[in-house]
Amino acid sequence: MRVNAETVLRDLPLALAEQPPVVVVNTDDEDGAIPAGLREWLVRLRLLEGVPFAYLVADTELLPPESIRWFYVDRRWTDALVQGALAVGTVNTDDRTQLTAQYPAVRDELDREERNLRRRKGSDRYQGDAGPVSGFILRSRAVSGWPAVHVRAFSVDPVEADDARVPEDGPGRMRLLRLERLAPAVLLCLFDGVPTVVHLEEPRQGVQFGFDTGDESGGMGAQLRPRNATTFEYLTGDPIPVPFRTGSTGVVDIQHLERLLASRVGSGAADGLDSSEYALQLVRFPFRQVFGEPEDTPVRLVFQPTISYQTMVTEVFRTGGV
Amino acid sequence: MAVGEGRFVLYSRIEPPLEAGEYRFTASQSLTATGHTAAQLPVADLPTYVTVRSPRYAMPPDQVLSTYPPAGSEGSYGSRLPQVVIRRRTLPWERSVQAGVPRSTPWLALVLIAEGEAELKLNQPVAECVTPGRTLPGKADTELGSYLQIRRSVVHRVFPTRLDVPLLAHAREVDIHDTELMMGDDDGFLAVVIANRLPLSGRDEHGAETPVKYLACLVNLEGQFTELLERSPARAPVTRFPAASVTVKANLVEWDHARMGHTGTSSVAPPASFGTAPYAPGSTWVATGEQRGVSDVYTEMARDFSHAAVAGFVAGETVSLDPTLRFPVLLHWSFTSYGKVTFRSLMEDLDSGLLGTTNPAQRVEVVETGHLGLDHRTRRGDQVRSWYRGPCVAHPTTAERLPLAHAADQLRIIVPDGREDISLAAAFEIGRLLALSRPSMVAALLRWRQTGYQTARRRAVWDELAPFLTEVVGDYVLDPRLGVHLGRGLAKAVTTRPEELLGDPRPLATPGRPLALDGTPEQVLAQGFSLPAGVFQGSPSQVLSRLRGSEVILAREPGLKLEALAHTLNQVVDRLVADVRRPVDEPRLPGGTRPPDEPRLPEAPHRPEGPRITGRPRFPEGPRPSDPPRLPDGGDRG
Repeated sequence: MRVNAETVLRDLPLALAEQPPVVVVNTDDEDGAIPAGLREWLVRLRLLEGVPFAYLVADTELLPPESIRWFYVDRRWTDALVQGALAVGTVNTDDRTQLTAQYPAVRDELDREERNLRRRKGSDRYQGDAGPVSGFILRSRAVSGWPAVHVRAFSVDPVEADDARVPEDGPGRMRLLRLERLAPAVLLCLFDGVPTVVHLEEPRQGVQFGFDTGDESGGMGAQLRPRNATTFEYLTGDPIPVPFRTGSTGVVDIQHLERLLASRVGSGAADGLDSSEYALQLVRFPFRQVFGEPEDTPVRLVFQPTISYQTMVTEVFRTGGV
Repeated sequence: MAVGEGRFVLYSRIEPPLEAGEYRFTASQSLTATGHTAAQLPVADLPTYVTVRSPRYAMPPDQVLSTYPPAGSEGSYGSRLPQVVIRRRTLPWERSVQAGVPRSTPWLALVLIAEGEAELKLNQPVAECVTPGRTLPGKADTELGSYLQIRRSVVHRVFPTRLDVPLLAHAREVDIHDTELMMGDDDGFLAVVIANRLPLSGRDEHGAETPVKYLACLVNLEGQFTELLERSPARAPVTRFPAASVTVKANLVEWDHARMGHTGTSSVAPPASFGTAPYAPGSTWVATGEQRGVSDVYTEMARDFSHAAVAGFVAGETVSLDPTLRFPVLLHWSFTSYGKVTFRSLMEDLDSGLLGTTNPAQRVEVVETGHLGLDHRTRRGDQVRSWYRGPCVAHPTTAERLPLAHAADQLRIIVPDGREDISLAAAFEIGRLLALSRPSMVAALLRWRQTGYQTARRRAVWDELAPFLTEVVGDYVLDPRLGVHLGRGLAKAVTTRPEELLGDPRPLATPGRPLALDGTPEQVLAQGFSLPAGVFQGSPSQVLSRLRGSEVILAREPGLKLEALAHTLNQVVDRLVADVRRPVDEPRLPGGTRPPDEPRLPEAPHRPEGPRITGRPRFPEGPRPSDPPRLPDGGDRG
């Protein structure tokens, strides 16, 4: 590079007035090794956003209906994805030299930032190097019929019980990097790490209301376990049989139900049932499916390739090899 | 109040301060002052008109946060009560359901109609959306609405009773940070309306399950609250399952006769041809049987009984021929109750495995590494098989990162069997295409690269200067912002002492030429008119006589004028030259010679420096008029 002394003297103060790039980014909108807007897009790309589904699951046989498929994310694959995006507009050797020089910093920054994409607003920023990323693809009618399924991942089995409630940033809770419906019945989820236990919970789409029902002679009967109106705990004693209106199907006789509830101490109905107390008695808890085998699972139980490695070595490599 | 994540607070009702409607507020003021009565100080009332709007015939789509069961879905919903969650917390209490009914009674009810029990009419004028003969006072929110046409007997069977309605709507407050419960609401307050009926699936005559389609309607009860039952009819510990849907097409004449009680056999039996037999025993379609009086018949005839085709649902029930009612429907959705499919059953029956697990019956080439054999058409058109593995792999992969590649072809791998592994190359290519598909990203990339070049250039300059700077400042570490400080220091020094660095600044005001007033006023005056010096001396008569004798210089006489002008100008030039202290050897231009390049004053015998350059610093020789104007920073100044 030829440097003209005069130009340097004239331009130096101006050129140096611009701050050199800051290496460690502290806010979401700050430019780091790469401008913030570009970084956000690349992070989303790294979390496979916008990648055609056929690239994720190359054959429909890999994801049959009513199945859940677990996987690890191949970092090399996502690296190649980002490299492809960065390669746009590299025309000459200079461009590529420059990209080569900057790429390690860019990659490290993306590693850091991919955690911060789903970070709740106002919480601390996540730091640290890239760890393994895992996830699952769920194809089921449960995805289409129950939108907004809740997914929780834990690095350790919650000690209390399967219905424990661990805050999102609590210990043992694993962050979700992505949770998105790719199609009406296909759900993709990425975890920041490899979870031990994963809970899939029925969406609390408006807490549901209902009874415990069962077939009985002549029709259907229903029962209600009364709850304490203040503590929400179940009251001791037998469940209340739910009365129905005669002459129609399924219509609940709420007035008589109120009288039945009033006889139970603590149900809140003694002084007249109001709508909040009625709703409280009827709340049904959503169902929670727990994935995670406490015992070690041999891989062959969960993954059976059609061609084993041995076959591959003995036949494919030799017959087709050069 | 902070609710706390995962918790919610239930309220029996949240009543709005004002019900929907039109209001007039009148502000009045009375003034009092000593010596004046209030009547003498009138203040006009200020009426303000306020309309409190609320949905009446149609629910705005953004007000509905969720409906359960999911619209259009099919599942085992028999043990759950349908519900609708509304964004506005006060909505169920924004209207008075009927005069005389406590305000705590909601004007909305969610009713569940099995297929065939009632008819939903869409897009009707709102005036027709209520039972004929009734009108709802006040404005309608839409032109067209939907209504549910339903027989009174069905209303009595499936609608909630008047005492039930207040129990079926409540408000809920959730934590605004809890996205799971918020469901996209803005303030954390929601209103919930629950149905009073369980959507049971049907049973055929053999007891096997049959699907039943239900229609959930959020109906407006305004003005028709008294149509509901006052209190519950008889109850039963169990409820029957709905039987298969039947449709009875009756002969109109027979129907009329049955209706009017003129026939002996006064029952309408379902024709034997329809498909499914009623489930419950003893099903007859009975109408009232006794002979009626004329006035009864007339009253009956005046009513709406024109619907000869009656769709009955519960085949075991008596279908009485009673008037139909219409209820405005704000929101409706339908779903099918059938089967054992619940979220739980779906989840428990999931086929769980690592990605790559396939049905062995399907001939899919999956190797243990997770690679999949796929057909591949190469650039040259060859049809080959290649290996592909997406980002989702059944095994943990190596933590070693991929070195930077600049083209997809750098990532193509030939495996020992001769096939290509195009996984990474495909990833590179799809990444490139995704970036190219977004022009804003391409622009951002190019801009970023440009900035990178500038930074690199700056760094190169800095590196080149570094040895010199190190020599100057020694071992101190140079702040990269040195340049900024340097620039600012330089600017400061220049502005404080400009005469040392830049040169004399120009004075704010240029002094004018001093007037030469030497001599008596008479002499000066005479000189100004180019008259002999003694003209104005003496008595006025002398002056006048002298003036008469003196010659008047006229511009029309060139020779004379020029001579006089040249004389005067020469004098001025002489004086100017004398003013300049610097001894200059340059000879003065002789009088009469004209500069060859003076275009504007061809008659001027001398260069008119004095008057022409008054606004500029005076230079001994002055710039030639043809010279480009020079700035006062010229180095040739003394």
